[in-house]
Amino acid sequence: MSESKDPRKTFGEALVEVGEKYSNVIALSADSSSGSGLAPFKEKFPSRHLEFGIMEQGVIGFASGLATTGKIPFVVAIAPFVTARPFEMFRNDLGYMRQNVKVVGRCAGLTYSTLGATHQSLDDIAIIRTIPGVVIINPGDPVEIKKAVHSAAEHKGPIYMRIGSPAMPILYNEDYRFEFGKGVVMKEGNDVTIIGTGTVLSKAFDAAEILEKDGIHASLIDMHTIKPIDHHLLIKAAKETGRIVTVEEHYLHGGLGSAVAEVLALEYPAPLKMIGVDDQFGGNGPYEKLLGLYGLQAGQIAETVKEFIR
Amino acid sequence: MHKLNDDEELYLEQIALKIRKNVVRMIKAGKAGHLGGALSAADIIAALYFKIMKVNPQNPGWRKRDRFVLSAGHKCLALYAVLAEMGFFNKSILDTYGSLGSKLPGHPDMHKLPGIETNTGALGHGLSIAGGMAIGLKMDGLDSKVYVLMGDGELAEGSNWEAAAASSHYKLDNLLVFVDRNTLQISGRTTEVMNYEPLYKRWEAFGWCVREINGHDLKQIVENGTDIPFENRKPSVIIANTVKSKGLSFAEDRVNYHYWKATPEEFQLADQDLNELGRRIGI
Repeated sequence: MSESKDPRKTFGEALVEVGEKYSNVIALSADSSSGSGLAPFKEKFPSRHLEFGIMEQGVIGFASGLATTGKIPFVVAIAPFVTARPFEMFRNDLGYMRQNVKVVGRCAGLTYSTLGATHQSLDDIAIIRTIPGVVIINPGDPVEIKKAVHSAAEHKGPIYMRIGSPAMPILYNEDYRFEFGKGVVMKEGNDVTIIGTGTVLSKAFDAAEILEKDGIHASLIDMHTIKPIDHHLLIKAAKETGRIVTVEEHYLHGGLGSAVAEVLALEYPAPLKMIGVDDQFGGNGPYEKLLGLYGLQAGQIAETVKEFIR
Repeated sequence: MHKLNDDEELYLEQIALKIRKNVVRMIKAGKAGHLGGALSAADIIAALYFKIMKVNPQNPGWRKRDRFVLSAGHKCLALYAVLAEMGFFNKSILDTYGSLGSKLPGHPDMHKLPGIETNTGALGHGLSIAGGMAIGLKMDGLDSKVYVLMGDGELAEGSNWEAAAASSHYKLDNLLVFVDRNTLQISGRTTEVMNYEPLYKRWEAFGWCVREINGHDLKQIVENGTDIPFENRKPSVIIANTVKSKGLSFAEDRVNYHYWKATPEEFQLADQDLNELGRRIGI
């Protein structure tokens, strides 16, 4: 992979694009605008950016009220503080009220590796997944982030989008077509299917390449939409390759792995291996080392896959 | 500002009585329901819908309408009653309260009936949503207002004070809160359960312009409710002193009528009280 891009900066650029396209797109931050890549949006549309300070419950309610007047609010802040902190507001004011609000949790997963568990977000997908009608998008590269922001603005209804912070390798060409709820087969193979998502899609991508060199033909799926999950593609993968491995920077409980397990268990039982963080609070240390602690580096993923299919 | 004349006042008294009668009617149908708060708020809600707010039952989504947010969602029987009275939906729906699939859940759902602006019930949500509406209306250059009804027990929720701060930060002078201060909550006297005093100064300290009225005096409700903003560039709040379960002599200001599982004898007493009031005001 030749080039990487900052996901937050990419998000900010995409938001300016949709802001130009739709005059009712507005941005809300909770003392989080510069860290969320909102500087260009603020500069271009100063009257369409609303700052709420460290008011992480209230900002969700305000977004809901703004949506009732036809605005398309994008609420952007650190992932745990737009999901776990205001969960009831998310559930009632956005989910139950079916409001057209886009919540973007940035620096998700283990991004805040040195800051510790309060700032990491390993449960956001799990808890938001329980809210009926909320679409969950977890883009896996900068191109996908950009396309997902455009699609989010066009989709009517609540969305949770999760982005990280470390630079993300570019995996897609600009002509890539993004579609909600449709996983992307990035590589074909018959031995096993690896399903990656979000911040660690590139690790899964590299793992598939390592396996290929070792003679293992893995299929690789980018599951950018966790909810609604692509049943059709999951069952097809289980039928064709027999075994599934999920890779996510999230708890094993409630995230991509769980979502996949729910579908397979009910519709097409197949052996499943889930890679992610097990039942513990995230540790602290350098980001890449922390990923290694949970087996999320490409070489580790490849080893886990080999052992699984042996 | 609008000053009610005596005829207008009588008319609103009649509406408020119809609301109270329909609250009891729904509780009869459902066997139980949130009585006390619906009755303490009934006069404010009657005045809002029949005098203060611009709404159109024939066009519930009218862009220029005023908005009503019932933050204390459990008082929704009064909201259902007033919407039915205005013709947003047929009154026969009121008799479905408590039945499977009824459009009248115990806390309101905007997707079930026309005229309901928000889904509330969990306390401490309404003011933020109302604040967002108020900002949105201002962005669109509309002079519509947003009216909120909160309970006094509800003010213990910290999220209200986030919303109170943001509403004054954004100078939402198109926003008016009524605090239905009936001084009771499930566990007892509100200031004893969790003290909110000094209530007036607290709102003032958050940058709001505050007035205090008798929440059963329709002249005071309308005079103040049609006078916003009380001060330019500031949100307004009315502390409305009310009596919980107002109108039912056996239940007034008594803590155990927050949620009422009525006996047949109590229904009889309720009917007697409301019919007696009806005879006095001509309905």
